[in-house]
Amino acid sequence: MTIAPADPVSAQAASQAADDAPGTALLRTLTGLTADLPATDPGKVAAAALRGRHPGSDEAELRALATEAAAGLIAEEPEYSRLAARLLALTITEEAAGQGAVSFSGSVRVGHREGLLADSTAEFAAAHAERLDALVERALADGADNRFGYFGLRTLYSRYLLRHPITRQVIETPQHFLLRVACGLAEDHSERALDDVAELYRLTSTLSYLPSSPTLFNSGTRHPQMSSCYLLDSPLDELDSIYNRYHQVARLSKHAGGIGLSYSRIRARGSLIRGTNGHSNGIVPFLRTLDASVAAVNQGGRRKGAACVYLETWHADLEEFLELRDNTGEDARRTHNLNIAHWIPDEFMRRVEADADWSLFSPADAPDLVDLWGEEFDAAYREAEAEGKAVKQVPARQLYARMMRTLAQTGNGWMTFKDAANRTANQTAQPGRVVHSSNLCTEILEVTNDGETAVCNLGSVNLAAHLGEDGQLDWERLDATVHTAVTFLDRVVDINFYPTEEAGASNSRWRPVGLGLMGLQDVFFRLRLPFDSPEATALSTRISERIMLAAYEASCELAERHGPHPAWAETRTARGVLHPDHYTDAVATWPERWQALRARMAKSGMRNSLLLAIAPTATIASIAGVYECIEPQVSNLFKRETLSGEFLQVNSYLVDDLKKLGVWDAQTREALRESNGSVQDFSWVPADVRELYRTAWEVPQRALIDMAAARTPYLDQSQSLNLFMASPTIGKLSSMYAYAWKRGIKTTYYLRSRPATRIAQSARGGAAAAATPTPTVPVPVQQAPAEADAIACSLENPESCEACQ
Amino acid sequence: MPTASEMTTVNTAPGHTKNLLDPGFELTLRPMRYPQFYDRYRDAIKNTWTVEEVDLHSDVADLAKLSPGEQHLIGRLVAFFATGDSIVSNNLVLTLYKHINSPEARLYLSRQLFEEAVHVQFYLTLLDTYLPDPDDRAAAFAAVENIPSIREKAEFCFRWMDSVEKIERLETREDRRRFLLNLICFAACIEGLFFYGAFAYVYWLRSRGLLHGLATGTNWVFRDESMHMEFAFSVVDTVREEEPDLFDDELQRQVTDMLKEAVEAELQFARDLCGEGLPGMNTASMQEYLQCVADQRLQRLGFAPVFGSENPFSFMELQNVQELTNFFERRASAYQVAVEGSVAFDDDF
Repeated sequence: MTIAPADPVSAQAASQAADDAPGTALLRTLTGLTADLPATDPGKVAAAALRGRHPGSDEAELRALATEAAAGLIAEEPEYSRLAARLLALTITEEAAGQGAVSFSGSVRVGHREGLLADSTAEFAAAHAERLDALVERALADGADNRFGYFGLRTLYSRYLLRHPITRQVIETPQHFLLRVACGLAEDHSERALDDVAELYRLTSTLSYLPSSPTLFNSGTRHPQMSSCYLLDSPLDELDSIYNRYHQVARLSKHAGGIGLSYSRIRARGSLIRGTNGHSNGIVPFLRTLDASVAAVNQGGRRKGAACVYLETWHADLEEFLELRDNTGEDARRTHNLNIAHWIPDEFMRRVEADADWSLFSPADAPDLVDLWGEEFDAAYREAEAEGKAVKQVPARQLYARMMRTLAQTGNGWMTFKDAANRTANQTAQPGRVVHSSNLCTEILEVTNDGETAVCNLGSVNLAAHLGEDGQLDWERLDATVHTAVTFLDRVVDINFYPTEEAGASNSRWRPVGLGLMGLQDVFFRLRLPFDSPEATALSTRISERIMLAAYEASCELAERHGPHPAWAETRTARGVLHPDHYTDAVATWPERWQALRARMAKSGMRNSLLLAIAPTATIASIAGVYECIEPQVSNLFKRETLSGEFLQVNSYLVDDLKKLGVWDAQTREALRESNGSVQDFSWVPADVRELYRTAWEVPQRALIDMAAARTPYLDQSQSLNLFMASPTIGKLSSMYAYAWKRGIKTTYYLRSRPATRIAQSARGGAAAAATPTPTVPVPVQQAPAEADAIACSLENPESCEACQ
Repeated sequence: MPTASEMTTVNTAPGHTKNLLDPGFELTLRPMRYPQFYDRYRDAIKNTWTVEEVDLHSDVADLAKLSPGEQHLIGRLVAFFATGDSIVSNNLVLTLYKHINSPEARLYLSRQLFEEAVHVQFYLTLLDTYLPDPDDRAAAFAAVENIPSIREKAEFCFRWMDSVEKIERLETREDRRRFLLNLICFAACIEGLFFYGAFAYVYWLRSRGLLHGLATGTNWVFRDESMHMEFAFSVVDTVREEEPDLFDDELQRQVTDMLKEAVEAELQFARDLCGEGLPGMNTASMQEYLQCVADQRLQRLGFAPVFGSENPFSFMELQNVQELTNFFERRASAYQVAVEGSVAFDDDF
């Protein structure tokens, strides 16, 4: 094998390596792994690894250093991501083999012996050992491990693969892991169940579909808590109920669920407490306790618990609620771990528009408002006002401006709309059934009450894996994926371990699931559609319609086999009103299929009351190596920081285009870094390329909202819709959120903004520095912004959710 | 010995346009003479953070996992942090605030002083968390006297503080050059090199998945420190425009020597920290990194680089690139504090 390093430094490294065994072994490995990666230079990676060695570095440690060195070169050449992933795969395979996991069945035996895997999983794997082992072998031969980028594989390795309880070494490889997750969802030990498992594994090993993180973490284990989301009703306005809720939250949090809960029933500050003849301190002190409780339960060390508190906009503690996340003021009135969201009635938005006053009430004085929506809410609200029950009145716009400021300052205080959520909800057909909040990531909308905690199991289709060889979307394959996905999401309802009685009670009645998607931006890049083009919106809408059709058909098929869900008769669908019917301007692309579905549904009913929700997919999208859910790219170049370290990502579609144009050179790379991943000022790149590769900060947010509104008819729950504004002002934000409300958006998620200043370049060397002419006049790394809008920055605040995915 | 021309008093006669380093306590903010300093003050406010936002709880578990070599390194690092920011604060109050005669700049310096206080509080909290034993805590603060590798760095700082201690007013050219050297020392060598060295160890640990609480707080400290450094450099730029003759070959030689000395001081610290070397971190790599940073500082000051080294640390390359944080994992380190405007419905978005 010959090595041809590209520069003298690597040539030197190669000759040095010749003298020592671990160095030689490393070079041999690198050369083998880069045979089909022509843009990578094994000598360069070896040189970097050898520089970091210390006395006693063995082959494994050199390989670890080489992995990091390759990862560090990804910003220069995306192919290094493949190399780093292959190096890491070697490490993982070796580590797992050292623990006795050389085959799938062997891996399951170890996991079962160590008390991690459930008996049923072990029995299933033992019964079908030969065929299951063959599945993995075939997948590996088809290049299953090769589909991972470095970031995805590193995430799997550090957090998803099961580890030996004592040695902390992994006891499964990525393929063992994916198949174990599928086996954990097997219906029984039959051949038919095995076929289903094989089909799910085919989808996950090709990264066509991934279940949410809790399912990936826990399927097949002794504690199969596989649901992502829990929505708790507000505690009742009494001490026992408030403290009982902490207990429920802790139990749900322990098992990796994300939590949404309302506090709208709790009386406001200053309300009389009859039992003691004192006055209430309002909700804030209770939220402080919740904050501490959420921080204390850290999901077995794998990740921190997370919760979002919802408050209705008429609650008299709203102004204090808005300050919960501030980093100034009295710390006793701050919660640093809780997310906060507004549950906003239409009446509030109307009064903002009309510049009218808004009344704030204590639930002690107006207890019925929580359980009303639409016209009934409007009437009750006005009546309470007329009766003089308000604690105080403020100009609606003043409050709205305050909400906008909190969004800009903290990214938090999400805007979710109570009436839009309830009006179109399948579960609110009967009086008294009310959606009281959304969940941690604002994509789930399900009814709750004191005895029913809503639950949702999630999974996401990877759209990028459904582009056919002709480059177009393969609609039939999408149908098939959705069919399998829904079958297994429904399975989770039965197999799931429910941490609280209230959760189990609700889920068996409604059987809701949340099928979402990821990689929409990848599809647009591949088809060369700018994010804000009419073609992009049309395609996005068709995709969502098709997924809904296929998902509903699958749910009907499940109902034909197992019967409809127990609360079927109480749904709008049972009355013939499907979710798209609420949107008169929605035009079906496949009207015949909808007709056939309606006829079938009238006979069979549905196995699930709700089926569609687009979650943020933060972690599973990175495992699959695609852009998150429905989001535009945040930057063409960005750093990911997670518990397993930090990683650089470059938009590989852009790099391909720039290579074709012959401009992917040191100067462009440096310019990309200087511009924080924007190509808008690259005069040497054609305008259509620049337009395609705009970032979320550069695409008009109106287009994002329009696209979200267009898919809303085909989401019976909701979507985690982030909005982006580099330098928010109250004027821009208030216009944007008022528009979202008018377009019938049910929920929005984070407002992402950017920090005021950037960190100075810490150190630049080598090619990048050489490409930049040494300035005769010093050029400040950080331009002092001349105006508020011209803010240079590098860090940003997209905290994205993983509870849901 | 200063030459005769350097002893000459700088022109401060009536009618003469005032310069930034002319002695006095200028109070006039309108019309504003140095709006760039005022803008920096306002930007700094947008980066407000508090120690309570940093979650150190996973660090404690990590500390137990560290190898003896890593424990030694982190112990020394914490000891350096314990006193580093206080030294910078002292110089700010005793020298910079006194001599930079612009109310806009003094606003910025007031803000910087607050930030240094937050950093001191952060490292104090860190130390209390990392070192449960009160005797260990006291020892960390005494490190500035007892541990040679830390003492040497502190002495370097004190020497450049002493060099201007006696100057009450920047009357002569020599006074101003001494002041400039002090300013450049604190910006380029202390905040810009010693701290950048310390940050490199933190990010090296983080690149291996360790001590995320420390890394989060350090992110914020890093952002602040790079602002402080840039502010100081923009003061230097302004003085260069106003009094170009202060910037002669002699000054370049002095600054270059100072940076070489700083690299040496940081390098002996690195030898203490790294010992025989740790995976991905050793004295040789640190030397290249420090030289590369020092070259950047020289270039920023308009002087020729002297080392020609490359940055060997890929984890430092990443430091200024856009970050995407899962909130399940860590609170994101960036948001703005000041927001303006009023409710509207047809603003562009």
